Amino acid sequence: MDTSRDDVGISIRSAFLRKGTQQRFSLFALTLISILLIFLESIDSKPLNSVRSIIKDIVYRSAVISNYPSKLFSSSYEKINSHFSLYNRYDDLLQENKKLKNEISKSDFIEMENSQLRKLIDEQTASYSDSESARVILDKRSPYINSFVLNIGYNKNIKKGMAVLHEKNFIGRIVDVNYFSSRVLLITDLNSKIPIISEPSGNHAILSGHGKSNPTLEYLSENHKVQDGDKIYTSGKGGIFDPGIPIGEAKKTKDKIEVKLYSELNQITFVNIKMRNLKK
Amino acid sequence: MSISSKGFWFKFIDILPLLILFVISLNGSSVINVNLISINIHYILVYFWVLRQPNSLGYGYIFLSGIISDVVLGLPLGINALALLFVAGVAAYVRVVTVRITLINDWISFIPALLFANFVYFISLYFSGYTVEYFYLLKNSIFTFIFYPILWIVFSLIINLKRS
Repeated sequence: MDTSRDDVGISIRSAFLRKGTQQRFSLFALTLISILLIFLESIDSKPLNSVRSIIKDIVYRSAVISNYPSKLFSSSYEKINSHFSLYNRYDDLLQENKKLKNEISKSDFIEMENSQLRKLIDEQTASYSDSESARVILDKRSPYINSFVLNIGYNKNIKKGMAVLHEKNFIGRIVDVNYFSSRVLLITDLNSKIPIISEPSGNHAILSGHGKSNPTLEYLSENHKVQDGDKIYTSGKGGIFDPGIPIGEAKKTKDKIEVKLYSELNQITFVNIKMRNLKK
Repeated sequence: MSISSKGFWFKFIDILPLLILFVISLNGSSVINVNLISINIHYILVYFWVLRQPNSLGYGYIFLSGIISDVVLGLPLGINALALLFVAGVAAYVRVVTVRITLINDWISFIPALLFANFVYFISLYFSGYTVEYFYLLKNSIFTFIFYPILWIVFSLIINLKRS
């Protein structure tokens, strides 16, 4: 019995402590370094942040280069596909064009009316000139993180917590900033919780991501009046984001209310970062 | 000319596991998620090569590829590295205690490696304040285990190519 226990001990020591042939590091030493790194991740200090920023910037740039062949392959595949479906799409586009032409005059009128009414109630509308454009350089999602990496960071005064928009729609917030890159936590992420308001029902709720395509509404009041098709906007509660940024439309399912996002998160190349959040 | 091309081919086969290791880390494709299926190629790769040909995949490279995966996937630095080192540790232990290498032996001994690695992954994520989806971890472990023989055959072919 003792002998077999000794054997196990010797085998474990041999596996973890001995550097094998051509191995420069022992497993035990590297395991300790990994644990130390995880621990250091929770410490927020300037020199550590600088080192982390440099490492992340280098890895992101290398990842962009390494992703190039697969991107090229998928874009050529898409091109070929779209080429084959050109005929069908042409017919669809003709009909859509007709419809849009009819609606243009209508929308012009509504826009004009809207701006007059905004003037009337003296509302301060946020202009999009206070936003910074960025390109998505990495879109690698894991079940734990639904995020993008952008090509700007401290160099363009990007800060943690800033709202990220695709066109005019809210898609997430900045959670990590490096010198030349930053990470956006998307609203579909498990850790994303955004205060919202529904229109026209006017109910407040929290939009929670689940790592899947559609986030859901949580903490709604019991007698809420949210219906299918209600528009969902940021409420501005907590002062983190501006109120009234469009997010999506409510879609009732069996036991929850999902939000169908206006922006398709898989198809985003450029985003706008709102440089002026309410909370400083 | 033929000697140099043969030499190049040997060199390429020699560094192929290392190339795959870094490409999947940099591409963020270490875990393949297709509908309900989720397979961790990273674990299989590390386990197989540390068990069968430890000289092809140094522990330092495994650590580095884990760090790269962490950065690309946006996880705290060290989580993937630690999980991969545990997989490598179990593989190194199995290598020390076994004499005959068969698919069945490898496959069964892969279970504790998977369990250790996913447990470490879960604990690290939990203490780093990340929401953990238990069902996903279970699903990932099961499919990674099921998929192991397929990659075992592919990697064994690479080893045979090297020998021939």
